[in-house]
Amino acid sequence: MFKKALLLGIVSGLLAGVAGIIYARVYHSSLGADFSKVAPTLNIIASSLFGGVLAAIGFWLLDRILKDKGEIVFNLLFSIISFATLLAPFAVKLPLDLEAPELFPGMVIPMHFFPALAWFTLKPLFIKK
Amino acid sequence: MKKIIYPVAAAIILAGSAFTAITVPSWTIADGYSISFSSDDASGIFKGFKGSIAFDEQNPAASKFDVTIDVTTINTGNGLQNKHAKSDEWFDVAKYPQIHFTSKQISKTAAGYQVTGDLEIHGVKKETSIPFTFKKTGTGGVFAGTFTINRNDFHVGKPGGDVAEQIKLNVSVPVTK
Repeated sequence: MFKKALLLGIVSGLLAGVAGIIYARVYHSSLGADFSKVAPTLNIIASSLFGGVLAAIGFWLLDRILKDKGEIVFNLLFSIISFATLLAPFAVKLPLDLEAPELFPGMVIPMHFFPALAWFTLKPLFIKK
Repeated sequence: MKKIIYPVAAAIILAGSAFTAITVPSWTIADGYSISFSSDDASGIFKGFKGSIAFDEQNPAASKFDVTIDVTTINTGNGLQNKHAKSDEWFDVAKYPQIHFTSKQISKTAAGYQVTGDLEIHGVKKETSIPFTFKKTGTGGVFAGTFTINRNDFHVGKPGGDVAEQIKLNVSVPVTK
């Protein structure tokens, strides 16, 4: 089970990272806000991958501890934690030479949901119960 | 007596015209200036700065500063803080979009110079002294100064609260002739 969960976490993390990069490019070209200095491509991929792997570990742990109810609790926790992390982009202080810091949350907030979105989308392909 | 009047008048006119011939060089504010503020809790920069600077190192008393800072260009690095700083609780940029400083007296000190003038923030004018240095660099120069103001003196924000009342300002202004 752990192997499947980890694989799902890695693949969904990478997918979320790719979606994040595409979204950042679209955001930059449509609004002109360039935050590549604080959110470079590598950081977007790495943080999405981190989220995916963390989800895999959480899923495996909850599945072992709570058995049948593990998935329900995991889904709830994954959504709530993704939502709670939205506070960070609002609180972050960017370098002063960056223009329009008020546009920063608009870029990264959707990215915070990409790992969960990718996980829920791909899960039926990896883990079947 | 008549013989004396004309030479005296000539001397007075000559002396007067000599004084009027003294001109203080004007400086143009160059790119790369920095107007930053900091306290324990809040810090940031103002990106908009303009004005006229007439300054002579040898004759600081005849020098004159008249500069404005565009408060709408405040940047704290955080969008919510920027919005808060521009609101009527703090700078109220809709009513008071500029910080204005006009010098009244500039004098030489041991460490450099000191300018005393009217600093107007948030619609409140207060006489303020700012120590500064001037370093010549080729055909230009750089004015630099650090000073502290109490935001309560200008009714910026509410007394107390999370943001310190003493705000440190760092000014660095490169100029060209």
